[in-house]
Amino acid sequence: MSKRYGFVMLVYRCIDCKACQVGCWAENEVPLGKSRNWITKDGPKGKFPDLITDFLPGNCMHCGNAPCVNVCPTGASYQTEEGIVLVNKKKCIGCKYCMVACPYNARYYHPEEKTADKCTMCVHRLKEGLQPACVSTCVGGARVFGDLNDPDSQVSRLLRKHRAVVQLPQANTQPNVYYVYDSPVDKGGIAP
Amino acid sequence: MAKDKHIADLPSIGESFFWRKEFSRRQFLIGSGAVFSWAMLQKMSFAGGKAEETTATAAKKGVNKVPSVCEMCVWRCGIIATVEDGMVKKLEGNPENINSRGKLCPRGNAGIKLLYDPDRLKFPMIRVGERGSGKFRRVSWKEALDFTAEQMQRIKEQYGPEAMIMSSTHNLTQPYFENLLKAYGTPNYGTQRSLCFNAMTIAFLFTYGVAQPVVDYENCKYIIYAGRNLAEAISNSETQRMMDFAARGGKIVMLDPRFTITASKAAEWLPIRPGTDLAFFLAMGHVIIKEKLYNQEFIQQHTVGFEEFAKAVEPYSPEWAAQRCDIPAETIRRIAREFAAAAPAAVVHPNWRTSNFVNSFQTERTVAILNALVGNWAAPGGLQPVPEEGSALGSLPQPPYPTVTAPRLDGVPWKHPLVPLKYGVIQDIRDALLTGEPYQGKGWLVYRQNPLMSIPERRKTLTALKNLDFLAVIDVIPNDTAYYADVILPESTYLERWDPLSVAGNRVFLRRPAVEPLYDTKSGLMILKELGERLGLGDYFPYQDERDVIKAQLAPVGISFEELLEKGWAELQEEHHDPYYLQTASNKIEISSSTLANSGENPVPAWQEPPAPPVGKFYLLSGKVAQHTQFSTQNNLWLSLLTPDNPVWINAEAAKQLGIKDGQPVIVESPVGKVINKAYVTEGIRPDCVFMAAGFGHLSKALKTTYGKGASNSSLHETHTDPVTGCQALSETFVTVRPYLGGESA
Ligand code: SF4
Ligand code: SF4
Ligand code: SF4
Repeated sequence: MSKRYGFVMLVYRCIDCKACQVGCWAENEVPLGKSRNWITKDGPKGKFPDLITDFLPGNCMHCGNAPCVNVCPTGASYQTEEGIVLVNKKKCIGCKYCMVACPYNARYYHPEEKTADKCTMCVHRLKEGLQPACVSTCVGGARVFGDLNDPDSQVSRLLRKHRAVVQLPQANTQPNVYYVYDSPVDKGGIAP
Repeated sequence: MAKDKHIADLPSIGESFFWRKEFSRRQFLIGSGAVFSWAMLQKMSFAGGKAEETTATAAKKGVNKVPSVCEMCVWRCGIIATVEDGMVKKLEGNPENINSRGKLCPRGNAGIKLLYDPDRLKFPMIRVGERGSGKFRRVSWKEALDFTAEQMQRIKEQYGPEAMIMSSTHNLTQPYFENLLKAYGTPNYGTQRSLCFNAMTIAFLFTYGVAQPVVDYENCKYIIYAGRNLAEAISNSETQRMMDFAARGGKIVMLDPRFTITASKAAEWLPIRPGTDLAFFLAMGHVIIKEKLYNQEFIQQHTVGFEEFAKAVEPYSPEWAAQRCDIPAETIRRIAREFAAAAPAAVVHPNWRTSNFVNSFQTERTVAILNALVGNWAAPGGLQPVPEEGSALGSLPQPPYPTVTAPRLDGVPWKHPLVPLKYGVIQDIRDALLTGEPYQGKGWLVYRQNPLMSIPERRKTLTALKNLDFLAVIDVIPNDTAYYADVILPESTYLERWDPLSVAGNRVFLRRPAVEPLYDTKSGLMILKELGERLGLGDYFPYQDERDVIKAQLAPVGISFEELLEKGWAELQEEHHDPYYLQTASNKIEISSSTLANSGENPVPAWQEPPAPPVGKFYLLSGKVAQHTQFSTQNNLWLSLLTPDNPVWINAEAAKQLGIKDGQPVIVESPVGKVINKAYVTEGIRPDCVFMAAGFGHLSKALKTTYGKGASNSSLHETHTDPVTGCQALSETFVTVRPYLGGESA
């Protein structure tokens, strides 16, 4: 079986430090003011002093059923065998259809390359046996990455142990990015 | 799903500076060649690694990996810089370094934008306009250093060396900075410590003889933090370990008036009334003693003064404390029991910046004692002693220092007998410049420090600086104090220079250039040496270049400079010391402090009522955000994108009563100053408090990215100094907040 790469985001572990974001900016020379990944702050919810805040690390969901790929008129947006959604810069004409189609707002227009641009799972790093840049610098240990088809991978183990959800399930995009909301007390810890 | 709003709504700053364009034609040499060990590469790769491939591709592209040490804060993480065609492209955490554990915090990741900051200091400058006009001319190093030395020599001859103040932050070159000031003969040494952690370090010194013990997170089960916000005041490895601890199911109890990110991770957040942590901890002591939950055997063997403390806390019942700290008596009682039950794998954390209230020293002493009561010292899961760093390293020979007889301007020890000389009381130096007592300071050499932003009552500090005959600043960016200086000596950034060695655990790491200096800058070691030589103090700087200093340090380590370059780090000889490593006079944990007793102070903690705001005023709290370090990173383009300013946190209910809406401009006013800032209306803070993160509201117009953003809480802070520790009480300033309706200036 081929690999299928994906992320498991451990919401409890994210401290909103944004090391992942800066790490990605450097790794991928992301144009100033654009971002391939982000943290969504959900909270504080409740009334003082009974409060909860969740931080949700995000990036392209590398959808199994990717609207961006489906609408791309040139075939520039495509999905690899391992499930990585990429943009072939040579084919991209910068029409921005994909940016409109993406329900997660994961793409931006690269002002110099004049193409759509987005998270690549740091595919160049994967080839060198490294983790994506955001994962390898994640201070809270919230971003976990690996092969979803390998039952022994960290991501698979986490998904077996915890209940996980995807963002916007109603959009039927079949994301390869999962979110675990369990707090440490639920399941005897959420260490990967 | 909306992206972070800071990012989505960004104006394009790309035009003003895009480093690839500016530097792509410039080819810079790599300072140290391609140096990176195979072992490290292999460790870095996951899933078994394909190290050959990595190195092969790297070589093809002309890529070098240079291991060095971060300096975006004081934690000194190990970094590995990726240098491509002479440009630093990426910084990553060195997995071999226990401070980084393979990861960098946002600031560490953004170090590139310090190196390529267009606003950086690029060459030496001498002021030409009025002080504070920001008008300078470019000069040669020779002229700048000659001028500085002449001024320092003149001050020495006219007024004596004590008229010269020298202050610096905690950095690797500090020993040589101390060389300069001690050889020159001034007693006036300024550090940032009295604005930071004096209360904690002095309390632990008096109790254990160890200033900063650490937590054994891996074996710990229960931690109580009092305002220590590790998720936002990031100490990289400790933040990582705390999150591992919490994710494993370890219990965090967080005392903080504000719902910080750490509080949001805590099993229990207790929004305590500011300044009353002391009541909470005294009552914990009361319960532990009353219910005999302490470790009898440990106390007998390792402590002195238990009886006195037991007697002292008798009146401090949880019911008594509840009235002061707004935490129910039952909660305090329960937490005391839980803490004792989890001991010795339970810790009341020593905390960090403890310059909050005049009573913070009593608070920290009580914290130190609670740990002793349950016997967690040097036990698995408890507090671990750490010996003074760097004691295993060598040094260059140098002559003895001249004797100094002049009293210190900051009152140590004549006004503050218990403050260690190395810590000092910097806010008192400022005040001495205003009063001329005990004598008038005339000159100030500031080394990578920013007194204008850090010392309370900025207005006073401005006047004090303007009173000086001579002000010189060594820094990497045109910070606020530099903006008011007569001469600016630009230091190379940490990515361009050699520094003395950095100790991390039982290894040493080397900070070395990833690239040659981009501009006409020098390392701190060379600036200090060249200044020292001009002052006739060359013997105190017996090195030709930085490498001589490093080689001397390495001598007892048993590894050559070349080997160190190759490997990136070296193992230090294991130092065998008694596992308890108690460095007090009695060799015991001094629950009752002999030092305090000898100087006529109460040797055991006692309640000290903190002041509270009158009706209509708020406590002004300050603290950190994860994206910035003190006053030094706000101009970093990337960090500024993430956190551009410091809105005033105000409780939703309080805001409603004052007619303040989220995002609206408000006026915050204290008895000593007034600022205009944006409101952040939230449920996440007590109704009697407002909060502003430190580091914004810069005065220097040369910091173009951050100038005009946010507001400075130093302009609001009143000066309140604890006479025992010299600690400034940063939360004893009370402010009013009202909507800003225009027409009024700050
Ligand atoms: S998240 Fe957006 S860009 Fe990524 S695969 Fe899905 S639709 Fe495409
Ligand atoms: S680096 Fe990790 S902990 Fe920090 S914001 Fe990103 S996902 Fe969260
Ligand atoms: S904690 Fe962050 S800024 Fe400080 S040394 Fe480590 S990576 Fe650098």
